[in-house]
Amino acid sequence: MAHSLLLVDDEPRIRRVLRLALEDEGYQVAEAANGYDALAVLRREPPDVVLLDLMLPDRDGFAVCREIRRSSDVPVIMVTARTDSHDVVAGLEAGADDYVTKPLVAKELSARIRALLRRVEPASARYADLIEVGDLRIDVGAAEVSRAGTVLPLTRTEFKLLAELAGAEGKVLSREQLLSKVWGYGYFGDSRIVDVHIRRLRLKIEHDPASPKHLVTARGLGYRLVS
Amino acid sequence: MVAYGLLALGLSTVLALVTWSVVSDYLTEQRESSAMVETSDNAAAFHYGLFGAPQPCKPARERAECGSPTPDHNVSVMDLLNSLPSTDSAASMVYFEEHWYSLTGKPADLPADFIDTVRNGHSAQRRITVGGQQVLAVGVPLSRPGEAFFEWHPLDSLDKTLQTLKITLIVAAVVTALIGLAVGRLASTLALRPLAELTRVADAVARGQLDARLDAESDRDLGGLARSFNQTAANLERRVAADARFAGDVSHELRTPLMTMLNSMQLIQNHRGELPDPVREPVELLGDDLDRFRRLVIDLLEISRDDGGDQGSREIVRIAHLVRAAADGMAGREVTTVAPEAEGLTLQADKRRLERVIANLVENAEDHAGGCKGVGVEAGGLGVVITVDDAGPGIAVEDRDRIFERFGRGETSGRGRGVGLGLAIVARHVEWHHGTIRVEDRPGGGARLVVELPAKIS
Repeated sequence: MAHSLLLVDDEPRIRRVLRLALEDEGYQVAEAANGYDALAVLRREPPDVVLLDLMLPDRDGFAVCREIRRSSDVPVIMVTARTDSHDVVAGLEAGADDYVTKPLVAKELSARIRALLRRVEPASARYADLIEVGDLRIDVGAAEVSRAGTVLPLTRTEFKLLAELAGAEGKVLSREQLLSKVWGYGYFGDSRIVDVHIRRLRLKIEHDPASPKHLVTARGLGYRLVS
Repeated sequence: MVAYGLLALGLSTVLALVTWSVVSDYLTEQRESSAMVETSDNAAAFHYGLFGAPQPCKPARERAECGSPTPDHNVSVMDLLNSLPSTDSAASMVYFEEHWYSLTGKPADLPADFIDTVRNGHSAQRRITVGGQQVLAVGVPLSRPGEAFFEWHPLDSLDKTLQTLKITLIVAAVVTALIGLAVGRLASTLALRPLAELTRVADAVARGQLDARLDAESDRDLGGLARSFNQTAANLERRVAADARFAGDVSHELRTPLMTMLNSMQLIQNHRGELPDPVREPVELLGDDLDRFRRLVIDLLEISRDDGGDQGSREIVRIAHLVRAAADGMAGREVTTVAPEAEGLTLQADKRRLERVIANLVENAEDHAGGCKGVGVEAGGLGVVITVDDAGPGIAVEDRDRIFERFGRGETSGRGRGVGLGLAIVARHVEWHHGTIRVEDRPGGGARLVVELPAKIS
């Protein structure tokens, strides 16, 4: 079945050409010209992936992204026209899973989408379906994390990140390894994506995110998950 | 502060030298004139004892009018000399009737020309050394031609006085200089504190920290300067921000049509097989140039991104990994050779920028210089030395700076080497990492581009 995509951009020509090109790549594409419409479409017919331009006329893309995150774990790829690093980090902190910069081409975008939609391989030989780290229960099959019976609201990407770290059984994974496993990037992926996701994940799974007990930093090396 | 000290030292030295020269001149003059008076008196007394009647005239002058008196040969010259009221250690001697008579001192100690001057009828004095001591010799002619009276007067008391004066003055000069230094230090710390602050803030602005400002209220004297400095810095900041916005706006405007074109072209190329024959080649041409256009826009964005003050992100990077990934990836084959001692080198780097450096250099060698002949990573120089060799005709010495300018290309190299912004971006990104880049000749022909970056073992 074709994956569905919600395209949020205020430029009609961009929407038109991206829709044509992405449909040619095999996606089902819905469009929204502003944040308000985007949220309406999202409620009406939830897509598999949202492609969100950060420069929107009615409300800025960051606010829309935060709004989406309030109700949905759908993967969000933000499109940044502005290139300074602050935008990228701010977008990721607002809840985006990945980012692309203009001028973007449907083929490259398609590779990003595929990477985000790839599921964590369940029950692989390397780790069990159910992993316990401290008081966290990570159910790889159901793609859920719970604590004391309560399911934690992780996005799919956050879950993939956590599952990869859990599968490493306490060993350090470098940012490059995580970028490759979770996002499908090569050596030159932007490691800020990992850092911001780790921060977001800590807010959700750590009792005190400022001094994490489970998701710890190995300085200069990467991250690891410990009980 | 040091200037204050030097000034004080200079002033006190001048004062000391002036004092020294005035006082020593004055004392020497006093000593000389008193010696002359004493010797003249002694000569007169001698003359009186020998010739009886007091002379109506001074022996040195008016001698002709005095005539030639006759000495009283009953008086012993030596007794006469003895009876003179001699001062301590002053030697007296007389040349009289073709003989030297001397109480103390030897006539041989007097310089011959000095004796001649006096015997020829002129009073004279001169500093001479007798037995290792400075003395002032004074000669007075007697009334008869060729006869003269000599004395010398020790100068050691004068020398002692002058010595004491000299030491006093030197000590005073040094003390004054030290006080000047201390006062200068105090004054400069107090007076220059606002200037030091101004320098610090101006440096910060020059380094690109455009929001640095002075506290305009803290110093009454410099308040005006601080305000106009702040105004200038604020204008500069606004201007830079406006320029960055402009670059950003232009790039946004360029990207939108470019995205339409690129995606449309991709669609067309996906369906290349369905195209009628006559349009296939034009579409191919269009596709190639569109790709070139895209590269140019991306490069322009890269440059304006830096102009816009993008801080980038620094992380610890193993340089050997990065060069392998970037160079081999761009060349599509293994071109990188890493020296064993360079394997562990790391640096604080922006991976994205450094990738552009290596990729652009390799791409430049591949596309414009006969192919990349190898990329080397070695320890040395600033820390790590990265070389990119090509098989091109080399780069003329006079073009070696120009190829790193925007749209700069070697004029004598002819073909489009370093076209566009690729090498300009390389140079900027290398500089961003506090590194250097230069062009050398590759042993065996071609050019070698050498990048040095500050890296260390960690």
